[in-house]
Amino acid sequence: MEVAELKVKLKTQIIEYLNLLDFTPEDIDDEDQLFGPKFDLDSIDALELSVLLEREYGIKMTDPAEGRKVLVTVNTMVDYILANKAEA
Amino acid sequence: MFIKDLSCISPQKTFEDDFFGTEPIIYTGSQLKAVEPSYADIPRSQLRRMGKSNRMATGAGMPLLQKHKTDGIIIGTTDGGMEDCHRFLNQIIQYEEGTLTPTNFVQGSPSSPAGGLALMSANSGYNNTHSNKGLSFENCLMDADLLFIEGRAKSLLVGCVEEISQAQYRIETLAGFIKKDEITSDKLIGCGTPGAINGEGATMFVLESENDNALAELVDADMISYPTADDLVAKAKLLLERNGLAVSDIDALMLGYSGDSNSDHWYDVFAEQLFPETGILSFKNLFGETPSASAFATWFAANLVNGKSVPSQAVHKPISGELKTILIYNHYQGNQHGFVVVRAV
Amino acid sequence: MGRIVVTGMGVISAIGNNVSENHSSLQNGVSGIGKAQFLNSKYANELLFGEVKLSNDALRSQLNVSNLKGITRTELLAFIAFKEAVENAGLSTDELKSFETALLSGTTVGGMVEMEAIHADANTNQAPSEFVSSYRSGAHTLQLAKAFGLRGYTDTMNTACSSSANSIMLGARMIKAGKCKRAIVGGVDSLAKYTVNGFNSLQIFSDEVTRPFDANRKGLNLGEGAAYLVLEREEDAQGKTIYGEIRGYGNTNDAYHPSSMSPEAVGVRGAINGALQTARISPSEVSYVNGHGTGTENNDYTEVHGMNQIFDAVPPYTSTKSFTGHTLAAAGAIEAVYSLLSIQHQEIYATLNWQTQMPEFNSKPQTEFVANAEVKHVLSNSFGFGGNCSSLLISKV
Repeated sequence: MEVAELKVKLKTQIIEYLNLLDFTPEDIDDEDQLFGPKFDLDSIDALELSVLLEREYGIKMTDPAEGRKVLVTVNTMVDYILANKAEA
Repeated sequence: MFIKDLSCISPQKTFEDDFFGTEPIIYTGSQLKAVEPSYADIPRSQLRRMGKSNRMATGAGMPLLQKHKTDGIIIGTTDGGMEDCHRFLNQIIQYEEGTLTPTNFVQGSPSSPAGGLALMSANSGYNNTHSNKGLSFENCLMDADLLFIEGRAKSLLVGCVEEISQAQYRIETLAGFIKKDEITSDKLIGCGTPGAINGEGATMFVLESENDNALAELVDADMISYPTADDLVAKAKLLLERNGLAVSDIDALMLGYSGDSNSDHWYDVFAEQLFPETGILSFKNLFGETPSASAFATWFAANLVNGKSVPSQAVHKPISGELKTILIYNHYQGNQHGFVVVRAV
Repeated sequence: MGRIVVTGMGVISAIGNNVSENHSSLQNGVSGIGKAQFLNSKYANELLFGEVKLSNDALRSQLNVSNLKGITRTELLAFIAFKEAVENAGLSTDELKSFETALLSGTTVGGMVEMEAIHADANTNQAPSEFVSSYRSGAHTLQLAKAFGLRGYTDTMNTACSSSANSIMLGARMIKAGKCKRAIVGGVDSLAKYTVNGFNSLQIFSDEVTRPFDANRKGLNLGEGAAYLVLEREEDAQGKTIYGEIRGYGNTNDAYHPSSMSPEAVGVRGAINGALQTARISPSEVSYVNGHGTGTENNDYTEVHGMNQIFDAVPPYTSTKSFTGHTLAAAGAIEAVYSLLSIQHQEIYATLNWQTQMPEFNSKPQTEFVANAEVKHVLSNSFGFGGNCSSLLISKV
């Protein structure tokens, strides 16, 4: 899968998992801070995002510190998905 | 206690429209879904997580919290976010106790509406949730009354919320508490078949200890579980007595007739034994049955003693004279029985 | 108006099936935490729990209700503790039946403990299971009312982990206001696949024994149990053993987040201050704090931070959850019983498993059992999701 395609897919999944009302994938920039003021997310959303990674990409994050590095922007999440898929 | 303000999201047009000026909605079948507003005032970042009961409680409660300064929040709900609860339960089974999304778990707790309202209104005062099936609203009234007596509050947000969840609906149907035959809600009472029809919604009151231009007075409430018919009459007599009320002071009974042939006889017997001459109003043919149905009844009664006209569908036995004092008697599935007295101010 | 006193207690938890067994475990530092034997969950062997050491069958036979259908584990635990409390207070059948006897109880999971039965009842068209009327909140209170012939006020509260602290509070307030003559108050929760997975999804379980108030705490161990108290007016309790007085209570909402507490400890401070104010005592008079102490990062920091702001010198504090695990809605009532035992026997119980001081604070919890302590006023804290914070101030009479 193309990286660009993966990004759109991930954005769609983020919207679905977090039920971000009024957002479309186009509204989320690759470099938007997911836990910045734009989305108003909190610690429960972080848990929801790690469930997303496990269910949709088969990647299980066990270390909360890892989560803080990965769940930053769409780009950091995509990098993480690609890196962990490559290993598998 | 006095009702300073109130709001109601229900299967009728009670929230944004004039319920008393229009014909009630007549439903077919056993699920009376709430007529929900657009919730434009709830921040989208909060709304995205809310299940139906949280949404309805917030939609009905927040405007009151914004309008009135309140010292605390007391909510009654039996099922809370039952739909979320079952979503979580289904996740547990589907993913075999694997990694699960916590939102359904948190939203599914009955304490979620009271906590959510406190959070959104930054109200760090008294906060409690009564989750006691058919007596949850009466429990809220006791809690509020005590805070007023103790002088710990002057004004409180008190209300109930219930949602129809498909899982609980099926469970209640299995247990025989929901009608299997399809009838229209205007033909509900006396239809002669077992089971009730399910309603949902949120009813919120601003209650105050003093009468400051109040809409109505909540005189008192009481309850009993698993009574005999004699127990029930004795309890009602005590309630009247301690409030200095005679049978003739009650201008109308508002009874919880649900159309359930297994348990509506309680109302017949009660009215015959203690109030043979009194007019009778019904409300579940408009709002359906919920564990906290007496909250709808109280909203309805408060409006009626405040001068709103009685919808013809609610007249079970004609009322003569002015409507100043209404005794609400409601039971849930024949086990939990509650009373509320509402009076004009 | 006279004092509201405790004339009866009943408890069942991971450290004992009655008051005296619980007391002995507390005195001897015997924890009830371990692998779960009866919990039906894949985590039963992976995580640690504070499980009551009796199977449903054993509970049923102890209660002599082997033939009764549709009684969940939640209800069985409630029955055991309720029965002990009313027998301990010597309440007669007539007293139980009186309109003047109230029952107030808290639970979170309630009948949801029977998850497989719920799932079957909700998703198939087979004949209803025996538990079909037991799932919804309030079911255990109704079962108690029915079995013991109660005809007075009944209430079920769900404010998550502060539920039974609130039922004790409301019962005391009702008696004080003359709304009833006596109240049986408490709460229950049983270990359930539903709550185990719920808390697991929030990642707040420790994979080892819980270490309340420890710098390296990793989370909580879930527990189960039930406890009930009989509350009466002091003037009605002549000739009875009086275990203590429900003297103060505070209830506030933290109004910060659905599942975590504010760093400023708004709710914690509000609840404790409320309890001190209604009790009309100053912070320095508190002899001992039975903390909420769940062993989570968020709770223990906030709780100690809040106490630091109220007390000039923080009194000895412990978390008996290191013995029982976190028993959710039952915690407030179980810990009220422990607070009353502490008063009755003038002793303070240990916090087990503690090793390292929290770097943010210069206080540490009580880690050893203290016999011959002077215990006059015990503060018992219970904080729940949804921001529900409650504290009780229980005093020696």
